[in-house]
Amino acid sequence: MSDLPAELTARPLALIGMVGLDISNPIYHAIWDAFSNNRRPDGAAVQFKLFNSTHEFPTVKPKRNSYEWYIPKGILKRNWMNKYMNEVPAVIVIFYDLDWHDSQWNEKKMECASRVQSLRAALEGRSTKIAVVLVQKEAPPLPDTEDLVATERATALCAACELPNKMLYLLPYTDHLLGYTFRLEHVLYELAQNFYHQEYKIVKNHREQLNKTAHQYLFVRHQFKMAFLNELKQDQTTALKHYQQAYNNLLDIRMVDTNSLEIKTVASFINYKLCRLMFNLKLPKDAIAQFRSHTERFRTRTGPRELMFEHYAWLCSQYSTFAELFDEAIRQGLPAVQTQHPGYYFQLAATHATQRHNAYKELCDNVTEYPNPDPLAGEEKLEFYGQRPWRPGKLNAEPADMTREAAAIQALQYKEKYSVNHSMIIIGLLGNAISQFKMYRCPRMRRLLVVQMAEEYFNCKDYGKVLTLLMHMLWEYRNERWPVLLTDILKSALNAAYLSANIQDYLTLALEALGPTTVFSTERKSEIYQNIMNILQNKPPNPEPNLSEELKNSVIDNWMTQLNRKEPLIFKIDDDNMASFIDIRARFTKPSYSIKSTVTIEVFIRNIYNEDVEISKASVTITSPGYSAEFPITDSNMESLVFKAKESKKFLCQFEAPRNDSPELQISAISIYLGNESKCCIAIRFSSTGRDTNLLERMYPEIQQLRGGVFETIRPLTVTKIQPKESNVTVGVESKQPALLGEWFTFAITIFSDEDISNINISVNSVQDNSSEQLTELSLNMTEKQSSIAVDIDSIKADSSFQQTLYVRSHNTGEKTIEIKVSYLRQGQNRDSKITLYQFSIVKPFDVSTQFYTMLYEPLSKAFVDEPLFIMPHINCTSPWPIQIESTSIELASSMIMESESSTGENILKNSVLNNGETATDVYCIVPKTASEQPTSTGIFTIKWKRANDKASVVTSSSVTLSPLWVEEAVIGLQTKLPPHGWVLTPLCVSYFIKNHSDYLITLRLNIEASDAFMFSGHKQIDIHILPESEKKVEWILRPLVAGFVALPSLSLTVPADEEYKLNQGRLKEVIERSIPSHIYILPKPITLEE
Amino acid sequence: MAVCVAVIGKDNSPKYIKCVDETNALQFHYKVHTSIDIVEEKLNIGTKTVADNKELFLGMLYSTEEYKIFGYATNTKIKFIIVLQSSNATLRDNEVRMMFRKLHIAYANVVSDPFYIPGDQIKSRAFDSAVSEIMS
Repeated sequence: MSDLPAELTARPLALIGMVGLDISNPIYHAIWDAFSNNRRPDGAAVQFKLFNSTHEFPTVKPKRNSYEWYIPKGILKRNWMNKYMNEVPAVIVIFYDLDWHDSQWNEKKMECASRVQSLRAALEGRSTKIAVVLVQKEAPPLPDTEDLVATERATALCAACELPNKMLYLLPYTDHLLGYTFRLEHVLYELAQNFYHQEYKIVKNHREQLNKTAHQYLFVRHQFKMAFLNELKQDQTTALKHYQQAYNNLLDIRMVDTNSLEIKTVASFINYKLCRLMFNLKLPKDAIAQFRSHTERFRTRTGPRELMFEHYAWLCSQYSTFAELFDEAIRQGLPAVQTQHPGYYFQLAATHATQRHNAYKELCDNVTEYPNPDPLAGEEKLEFYGQRPWRPGKLNAEPADMTREAAAIQALQYKEKYSVNHSMIIIGLLGNAISQFKMYRCPRMRRLLVVQMAEEYFNCKDYGKVLTLLMHMLWEYRNERWPVLLTDILKSALNAAYLSANIQDYLTLALEALGPTTVFSTERKSEIYQNIMNILQNKPPNPEPNLSEELKNSVIDNWMTQLNRKEPLIFKIDDDNMASFIDIRARFTKPSYSIKSTVTIEVFIRNIYNEDVEISKASVTITSPGYSAEFPITDSNMESLVFKAKESKKFLCQFEAPRNDSPELQISAISIYLGNESKCCIAIRFSSTGRDTNLLERMYPEIQQLRGGVFETIRPLTVTKIQPKESNVTVGVESKQPALLGEWFTFAITIFSDEDISNINISVNSVQDNSSEQLTELSLNMTEKQSSIAVDIDSIKADSSFQQTLYVRSHNTGEKTIEIKVSYLRQGQNRDSKITLYQFSIVKPFDVSTQFYTMLYEPLSKAFVDEPLFIMPHINCTSPWPIQIESTSIELASSMIMESESSTGENILKNSVLNNGETATDVYCIVPKTASEQPTSTGIFTIKWKRANDKASVVTSSSVTLSPLWVEEAVIGLQTKLPPHGWVLTPLCVSYFIKNHSDYLITLRLNIEASDAFMFSGHKQIDIHILPESEKKVEWILRPLVAGFVALPSLSLTVPADEEYKLNQGRLKEVIERSIPSHIYILPKPITLEE
Repeated sequence: MAVCVAVIGKDNSPKYIKCVDETNALQFHYKVHTSIDIVEEKLNIGTKTVADNKELFLGMLYSTEEYKIFGYATNTKIKFIIVLQSSNATLRDNEVRMMFRKLHIAYANVVSDPFYIPGDQIKSRAFDSAVSEIMS
């Protein structure tokens, strides 16, 4: 809080004076300590002060009865606040040692009374309250007992001292001292509040006598006093109200040059109090609004032009004070936001400090001596705040003394020039602002402030700091890619580097200035380029433009000594620290190289500057863990190292691949040398990937491809692998894929080598995938099954091969992988090995499907016990290879028997060859013997087969389970005996055998329907009874009438209704349908000679 | 009306800056640049609370004694900044909004140019005239 008086910024506390406490006495010292030092944080807002019993209090001014003829000479008196804070106590306390039962009670009573009297005299005219505290050694009486002596003596003492009863307090000096003092403190605080309220009332009464024309100053003063008294009373709300009125009254005063300083000073005081109270009362928005209108109003009230700097200093202090208040409020828990925080105010304060600096430069340049006599003498002793020492208490109306005025202005200007360090003020404010903006996440604002700070350091010629700050900011601004800003910073930094003769930084900055991201004019760029060239030739660069002659001349010598050193000057500059005018890309030509082969790196160098540039040398640094080497680039096509404007060239860098532990090589950097290494030279180190110009590319990768330019499309390849030379052993596998399920699949492994190898070991394994179980067998000879095979061979001569045939059998279809690992000893080298994975697929050779037919060759879905049927296995070849069937056989299930044993003859399918898609069918006649609830298995079909196209193949036997069949119990068996055909008009005999398989007697009604095609004899309708397990025969003689495939007269069997439980009518119908032929061939009558 | 109009790309680098007073351009460059801080903060908060916040106008970013700075961000994170004189108190929020809308339309026309590569500086006569209209 730069120039606010301490009494204004201190927290107003009620002042309580203490008399009679002699601190050299340990008891009193303890009491004083209890009051003043052991304050609790929640204690009352009071300040205790020790007064000597003979202390002289400020005298009271004579009371004014009327203000009519009074003309105030200023607004606020300098001593008033201090008087109420430190000199006029609200309450004064007399400490006195006195016990109720003291032996010299009367003498002591009188002494105490006289002390009170003398103090009262000292405070004549003030309404300060007087209290007496008796320090007693006796223990206090118990609360419910009454000490009559004490009561009586207390009344007597009060009377002697002329004090009301309630102004007498006791302080027993016992164990609970702190508790007593705390209570006493509260009582005294209340008394103090009463005092301030009373004072407030008095001031308030004055006001009524004032008039607007003559007493404008008093309006402000009285309101200020009322507000301040309320503050002492700790009534902040009322205080705020009065401060506001004071402020408003102040604004009513007409401002002229003579009183402007006073008004502004008082305004700043009141504003300070207002803002502070508003922050305290949690009204931050009001505080900000008040401050805004305050600065808004006074910004234009500049006062006399010669003292412009004073106005800016005032504005600056307004802002910085407010910023500090704001910051303080935040520390008390006020939340701030990014757009409203103390940083802005510090920044504005800095801005005004800069304006002050500028104003000072403009106004105070010619001031060289301090006027005599000192017109500023006695500044500290003025009666009013903000008045000029050379015309104190003058009112506006009086004419100014022009010579004194001029001398005073000169004195102020002299002071401004020689006693104020403007730069330090600005830097300090900027520093505050920077830390605030950092806290409220405004990185860019922070950068701007840092740049401004650097500017200020430049003004005070601290070039080292300028460079440190700007080099840092350059890096940040470069990433943001704002060319105008970057250029601005480069300008300042170049100036600083030039003036400090810092060659390294100067070169870095100059190189960057030539880069593509700046907006320097072409002429300026060529000047900068010329400066670089000058340095390379050990000549000082031309001075930067816009520097004063004086500054320029001061550094020439410095440059000369820097440049004319004996040893060669080599400046190493890292590309990270700048963005130069040379662009680099580098890549390996291959992602891997074998040991001892030549590694080639392509280096692309582009000159982005718009004039010719010559480089003296370029080299590439290669690193890998534990290895680092630098290789110069070779001019493969004798290209010179002079680059025309915007030209890019390609160079090669070749070297033999090193042999080391780590297989990776990396291009870590590319160095470009400018200038002669023996004199002065700049080495620029570029990272291999090129600068981070690809930001755009990251943002819009698809679109950037549209951009033309070869250079941009070069993809850097900065890492390569170094691999040992490959061995030339090859492993080949031959086989006739796919393999067939269940066969021994032959595959031949051929190992070929172009050099002598020995001690060869071949191991073959089938690779298991986790899901399938071990269903693959390996064998060397098709008889011994092995899970893995190992073959050892002594040696293979160069350019010869070795072949080994192996067999594999698999019992499920799908893909299989076999791992063949060949390990061998190379000549003069370590063991080497090669793993080949061989994958093959397994397919089924054929599908077997089963079909069932009735004896009538009708497809059958259900069989009946004892009814013969045909079973036909179909072999459908699915193998890509032709297969030859050696034999087939069927093994029937236990419930089936062959119809006739005689069919053991030649197998019909023997030696038949099936191609892909062809089908062979076998047929057997079987009779089911038992019925079951669910389909029963019929048997197992075994096929012996081999590949038809391969002589060496062996017979494989595959067994297939035939489809199961549903076999049902039959109650009635029906058989027909019928000649294969008949002749027209020739009788033929048809017999039906009906068999009862059940254990019941079955009655059936047999009914034969008439047919147009036949005449017949026999029963048309008959009931037959069949005993259990017996057979009945029914016969008819038919005489066909027409020729052709003629329907037989249809036979129907019905069960009487009461017997349906034995035999289902539906089942009976089924039996008829499948057992009785429906048609018969009738041949026309042969025409014989006889007829 | 406006004293400075700026278009800032997705990468926060300037794509177009035009000031009424070109001699003071540097100052405006700095002003526009620092206002990105607040734009970024506002955009960050926006994504946190309402994802489909369709409001592109960011309102006043900050004000100094002389200038008021307004911001606007498109859905593709292109930012428009307009600097107005603080003394011009008659300008309503809605009028500033209109300025931005005009600017946005002009920008949309620029990027619709098949020869314009997004991320490049804007060099377009039509855009220039749209900006001058805003600044006049």
